[in-house]
Amino acid sequence: MPRITIDGTVYEFEGRPKLLQFCLDHGIELPHFCYHPALSIPANCRQCLVEVGMPVIDRETGKPKLDENGQPVIQFMPKLQTSCSLDMADGMVVKTHRTSEKVARAQRDNLEFLLINHPLDCPICDQAGKCPLQNQAYKYGPEGSRFEFLKVHKPKRVKLGPRVMLDAERCINCTRCVRFTDEISKSHQLTIIERGVKNYPITPPGVEFDDPYSMNVIDLCPVGALTSIDARFKARPWEMSATPSITITNAKGSNCYYWVRDNLIVEITPRANTAVNDYWLPDEDRLDYHRFNENRPDGPEVRRDGRLVRVSWEEAYDRAAALLSGIEGQRILFLGSAYATVEDNYLLKRLAEALGADTPVYIPHIEPGHGDGWLRTDDRTPNAQGCQRLGILPVDEALVQSRLESGDIQAVYVLEDDPVGSGLFSAEALADIPVILHYYNTTNQTLAVADVALPAATVVETIGTYVNCDGHAQRVRPAKAIRTVNRVLMREIGKSRLDQHGTPYDRWYNEKHQVDCKPSWEILPEVAERLGHPLRYKGPKYIMQEIAETIPAFAGATYEAMGLEGVRLVEIGAEV
Amino acid sequence: MAVNGVQSKAGDWRNYKRVLLPPIRDLHRLEVYEAHGGYQTLREVLTSDRWDPKAVIEEVKKSKLRGRGGAGFPTGLKWSFMPPVDDRPRFLCCNGDESEPGTFKDRQLMEFNPHQIFEGILIACYAMSVRTCYLYVRGEFARWIEHMEHELEKLYARGYVGQNIMGTDFSADIVIHKGAGAYICGEESSLMESIEGKRAYPRIKPPFPAQRGLWGYPTTINNVETLANVPLILRNGGEWFASIGAPNHPGPVLYGISGHVNRPGVYEYPTGMLITDLIYEVAGGIRGGKKLKAVIPGGSSTPPLRADMIDGVTMDAESLREAGSMMGTAGLLVLDEDTDMVSWLRRVTHFYAHESCGQCTPCREGTGWLENIVTRIDEGEGRLRDLDLLLDLCDQMEGRTVCALADAAAWPVRYTILRFREEFEAKCKPSLIPTGIDVAPTATE
Ligand SMILES: Cc1cc2nc3c(=O)[nH]c(=O)nc-3n(C[C@H](O)[C@H](O)[C@H](O)COP(=O)(O)O)c2cc1C
Ligand code: SF4
Ligand code: SF4
Ligand code: FES
Repeated sequence: MPRITIDGTVYEFEGRPKLLQFCLDHGIELPHFCYHPALSIPANCRQCLVEVGMPVIDRETGKPKLDENGQPVIQFMPKLQTSCSLDMADGMVVKTHRTSEKVARAQRDNLEFLLINHPLDCPICDQAGKCPLQNQAYKYGPEGSRFEFLKVHKPKRVKLGPRVMLDAERCINCTRCVRFTDEISKSHQLTIIERGVKNYPITPPGVEFDDPYSMNVIDLCPVGALTSIDARFKARPWEMSATPSITITNAKGSNCYYWVRDNLIVEITPRANTAVNDYWLPDEDRLDYHRFNENRPDGPEVRRDGRLVRVSWEEAYDRAAALLSGIEGQRILFLGSAYATVEDNYLLKRLAEALGADTPVYIPHIEPGHGDGWLRTDDRTPNAQGCQRLGILPVDEALVQSRLESGDIQAVYVLEDDPVGSGLFSAEALADIPVILHYYNTTNQTLAVADVALPAATVVETIGTYVNCDGHAQRVRPAKAIRTVNRVLMREIGKSRLDQHGTPYDRWYNEKHQVDCKPSWEILPEVAERLGHPLRYKGPKYIMQEIAETIPAFAGATYEAMGLEGVRLVEIGAEV
Repeated sequence: MAVNGVQSKAGDWRNYKRVLLPPIRDLHRLEVYEAHGGYQTLREVLTSDRWDPKAVIEEVKKSKLRGRGGAGFPTGLKWSFMPPVDDRPRFLCCNGDESEPGTFKDRQLMEFNPHQIFEGILIACYAMSVRTCYLYVRGEFARWIEHMEHELEKLYARGYVGQNIMGTDFSADIVIHKGAGAYICGEESSLMESIEGKRAYPRIKPPFPAQRGLWGYPTTINNVETLANVPLILRNGGEWFASIGAPNHPGPVLYGISGHVNRPGVYEYPTGMLITDLIYEVAGGIRGGKKLKAVIPGGSSTPPLRADMIDGVTMDAESLREAGSMMGTAGLLVLDEDTDMVSWLRRVTHFYAHESCGQCTPCREGTGWLENIVTRIDEGEGRLRDLDLLLDLCDQMEGRTVCALADAAAWPVRYTILRFREEFEAKCKPSLIPTGIDVAPTATE
């Protein structure tokens, strides 16, 4: 196998990798800006320079020349090479800044150049704290600057489109944003204009940067030149925690980070996962966080004298059980949910089974034309496939409507959905029978007819599993804390300061913004127990373990197997 | 200049007969060019058994023709880098973007002898089995572009360009492409980007154009003057060409002489002319009988030579390298004793700062910084330490960029300071803390 020597260590490699990517894959850090694994390689920032040598080949024998110690004679190229664009070759010898003063100096020089016209407005820059330029300048840059002239001034507040703001002075002209619109989103909405130090990216005249994926350039930008109009000036990176999870606007389940400050979601950014969304997020996924902060309920309620009144959780469970206990299982309609996790739907199914009811069904939320064949799907729910794998199938609307009308359905148990809002039932049709509702937001229209209203934890407050449209099972983690103490949630949410999860010990943890809700996997066992059917689990992990062991469509899908990037169920042997 | 005359490699240059810009009236018109034997070489190449494409390349190799675009790369060798013919398109780009300060010889060719360029292009296309050539012309040359387009139409009408040229089964198109005012478009890879309709950012090499050029296909780029030499080589033989001028860098060449001389202009002579002959004989000496201060031998990016450095130096790659400069485009800038070298350098740094495409960091930031400092010195606000900083910045730019513009910007700075340092020092203020003075008093006393 071909070999390469990097700073004296020999590595074997296959194929023709580029040196920079190889180094990054092997934990050898090299400063760089313009290189991105998903984009073409322009080698324009010139930050990733290394010294490169090749063995001298003896013309007569065709073999490498050896020195007196039997080592191959290495001839170093006179110019430093950009590692991002360099094809590795057998016998190559590379010196990085760790072993070459020449390389260290070139990196320092380059950073000096990058900073001379940079506005250095880090104190007010959203990128500060997670800025590759800032980090690398501290690590590899010069002590100060020898530049004693007026910096070049460029436009500082350019609205490129509805969602992205440009500060051209901060731009280091790496062209990542332009390459993204040329090569990935193919909208071709950005280009560099001007020349030399005046360069900056902009839209062509008359064009608005309204690409549905426009906000990805914000994360691509290695400086604070491109910022989110929605998020800018809201919070500094070090004031926030970032929780790895997935987005739920559609069935793709793109991987993301939820950024939390004061126990509110303030931003959603993409998380790389080549099996799902590569490095990208649709803008719509990223802006879809208000539902976690706004119109949230405040504790459970039951209907008394026609009005919902606030009660304790215990009282709410008692009431739900009391309403259901008089009714024959067959007469209760259990509505599962493509918004809820696999675990929650599974518990609902177990409860239905225990009461002798039909298997739950779910309400599909399909928006034809929303999908784009990429990271948006027509299906606006995150877990339809998870439901189906549990045997929870789309509801036969006509059937349940006629059953309700004929009095065959005498109670409805709704898991995290809105049958009235979605048009499955009219409010009048449900008015006279008990309705038990797990819900996220006070905008839920079924609340008007609910007899027991149980606030459920949302994707950013719970633990659980979703299966995306391609059969990829992924875990979610709690990003923000709920009011009640739940040991299982606390364990995941509050690991350490390093993870920057919001914990009671972090100063940005804010009780005011804790919603009094509970995960459905905590609510359902309470109700079940009161109906005489214990459904006790130590937590969602154990529920999933049972699912993985008993349901062939989930065979092997344990939390360990899913890890941070999830698993493709077919690949671990689960049935389709 | 008898002593120097002996050292000239240009032979009997006083009786030299011009072949690139022959003294023929209206030669730019097809009828006149044909009447003087034009396109006969092309016909010979296309129809004679002797000239298969390989033989043409061999002949060009034999001629030792080196590119006239600035880098002086052997043309025949460059052509032979083209991969074997397959079903992919292949391209030739003829570089007429001529924008380097001090260089104005391609324009003469396009104005006075465009058909020799066309003929050279067609022969080159034949040699490399290329079907399409883009002639990229600096947009400011609008008048000659218009004229060349007119002549090109005539060529199409006559069947000299296009399908089945001269009734043979060889076909080739020529497309004239106008530049839009950027010096960087003359750099071969950004020239291709520009033709592709993109922003003219130079590409990283490798891959080289012969592997992956225009639209990703095998491509060769040659300068206008380079290709205008090709019909001559095929007509008179490679050996004839190789015998003209300096043996290692032979052929006729267009010297563009500008600056403080009595008769500035473009002059055609063999390579290997003594610089002194060019200044004092060809261009009629320094204006007003003044003394020479410096010569920039090959366009503004080549290092300037002090007057005392040019004795016996001839215009060819070898001699100029030994003297500490380069042949470049053979555009000589002659500066007399009154020239303020700082002011001159200020103008040059302004040009490169203005023309840097801004793609790579050291060039984008460095060219502007160089201009800032040189301007400050020129305005009497500089300090001595600025000179070291300038040299430092040259180190930080040279060899670390995508294309050679950064080098082209750094060389004049480096060598003007090294060779005319006293002029810079005279304009600088002393540094705030003079060296050699112990500024830290000892406390123990
Ligand atoms: C910044 C820059 C500008 C250039 N401008 C020109 C030009 O205007 N005309 C030209 O013929 N070559 C120019 N060149 C050189 C070309 O890159 C290329 O080497 C040349 O066209 C090759 O032709 P030749 O081999 O016939 O010399 C330039 C190079 C650089 C780095
Ligand atoms: S705006 Fe950011 S991503 Fe775009 S070129 Fe500038 S630095 Fe690069
Ligand atoms: S060296 Fe200068 S001109 Fe050449 S690619 Fe880099 S920035 Fe552009
Ligand atoms: S990462 Fe920018 S040049 Fe290599």
